[in-house]
Amino acid sequence: MKKRGRGIGLSFYGTGYGNGFPDVSNAWVRLLKDGKIGVYVGGAEVGQGAMTAFVQIAAEALGVPHDRVLLEIEDTLTTPDSGTAAATRQTYNTGNAIKIACENFKEKLKEVAKDILNLNSTAALEVKDGEVYLEIFPQKRVSLEKIADFLGGNILEAEGSFTAQTTKLDPETGQGAPYWPYTFSACGVELEVDTITGQVDILKAVLVQDVGRAVNPHLVEGQMDGGYAMALGYALFEDLNLKRGVMGNRKFSKYLIPTSMDVTELTKIIVEDPESTAPYGAKGIGEPVMIPVTPAILNAIYDATGVRITELPITPEKLAKAFSDFEKEG
Amino acid sequence: MIVKQAKSVEDALELLSHYGNCKIIAGGTDIIIQMNEKKVQPKVLIDISKVEELKKIEEDGDFIKIGSAVTYTDIIESSIFEGNLSGFKKACRLVGSPQIRNRGTIGGNIVNASPAADSVPPLIALGATIILESKNNIREVKVEDYFSHSETFGIREYEILTAIRFRKPKGVLTFAKLGLRKALAISRISIAALVELDKDNKVSFVRIASGSIGRYPMREHELEEFLQGKVFDDAVIDEAVKVLQGVMDVRLANRSSLPYKRRAVEAVLKEALGEVRK
Repeated sequence: MKKRGRGIGLSFYGTGYGNGFPDVSNAWVRLLKDGKIGVYVGGAEVGQGAMTAFVQIAAEALGVPHDRVLLEIEDTLTTPDSGTAAATRQTYNTGNAIKIACENFKEKLKEVAKDILNLNSTAALEVKDGEVYLEIFPQKRVSLEKIADFLGGNILEAEGSFTAQTTKLDPETGQGAPYWPYTFSACGVELEVDTITGQVDILKAVLVQDVGRAVNPHLVEGQMDGGYAMALGYALFEDLNLKRGVMGNRKFSKYLIPTSMDVTELTKIIVEDPESTAPYGAKGIGEPVMIPVTPAILNAIYDATGVRITELPITPEKLAKAFSDFEKEG
Repeated sequence: MIVKQAKSVEDALELLSHYGNCKIIAGGTDIIIQMNEKKVQPKVLIDISKVEELKKIEEDGDFIKIGSAVTYTDIIESSIFEGNLSGFKKACRLVGSPQIRNRGTIGGNIVNASPAADSVPPLIALGATIILESKNNIREVKVEDYFSHSETFGIREYEILTAIRFRKPKGVLTFAKLGLRKALAISRISIAALVELDKDNKVSFVRIASGSIGRYPMREHELEEFLQGKVFDDAVIDEAVKVLQGVMDVRLANRSSLPYKRRAVEAVLKEALGEVRK
């Protein structure tokens, strides 16, 4: 028999390494010969969109269009350590390091501009649109290209470093601030369960993600789609079938993941509530986008059938058995 | 390994008799995997995918003839399998993915002889025969017998399956499948039914075949005998489920898959029989 149900799942997730562990990201910013700006970070692009977010944050901080920023990442010979692309930390931590490095870089630009423009101080100097100018007398201005020319072979470079603030939990009392910041998510699903075959058909799904500020809304949506599909696989399909430590499902014909036919269209809602310690308010969402989905599915199955599932994945075979046991118990 | 491309059936049969340790390749969706897993290691592959005479779907009076190198996509896109034959189209549409359906062939699905082959139960329900050609002989074998008595009716290494043939049915052919996801799913259970009802809604003709509830796709004779002459209503279909579950209890005794399959078969059989009434 087919039964319908609805469920929600809510989560909050502390991003970064946490628990007082030193969580450091470093960034370098350098003026290039043609007046463009090089940004160097060791944060890895693993498909999450870090490269795009880093360039956007640097361009915003430097007041230049994104095509004036040249990003170099991942190469340990040419970039500083920006920590792992893990723990949902790159946008927040490395983003902060880039923003700090850009602010330091702007001060160094002003020092050089002061000399070129024959000024007594860097006060009231502004860096914007690829130029440094005097706010109180804007005719006094010099382009980054001219500054690079003026410097000749001398390198103008600034560093930025950001260390996230967390404290270790007290082993006696369990008190502390183990993470900062936290990211909040919610998911709702409406599904249909076939109590005979144990098949679950998700009819509608909505995922709501707090992001602080969406550096790139399309990328955030991409992360939400990906996290939802991954959670769907986690909840309904993906089974290593471990027996005495040996993987029974060693190939994709046995280790099933959802196909595009299985992944229902997802309604995505982005909530922007800027985080004061974050670069332009932006928090990480890599892991959080997955977390509330499975509880929502399990709650919806319970709503539809009265059966509580406590083991994942809920394959049709396991679900059919749960219904069979439930029917016998009355 | 040598790969030879055959230009005609005659050419392919000549190559087959010339070389030893040959395998025929058409779509390659099964044999390539078996070769990668070293389950088959032929010295020579004979490619029949460019043989035009094997790629035709023809209507010949009361009969329909499908060349063995016709792909699932060809069948899905053909106008021949509409109306009372749409169950065959449905079975082909539920095979693998678009990529597999574009490459995989109907002849390959039969000779690969998987118990879960999706196109086979509909062909058994249609009473289809296959044509096996060798250099000096042509045999016509029922699809049903090809699987149930393979020692006699199975393909020989010097033969090529060239076509599938069946008489256009009067009844309605339906198909239902239980897979563990919505695409790229190997059938856990499949059922094809060919049912003809008389003016009193009684079953005047029935042929039912199953996949994945036995070692090979097969006729479900007990189910057919039960349904023959009965009024085709919900109560009879409910009873039919119990008949088939009884058959499975014997056939799949001691199999770990039995508890799930005997439960789930209800949904699959009801879908297959339900579509007869649509």
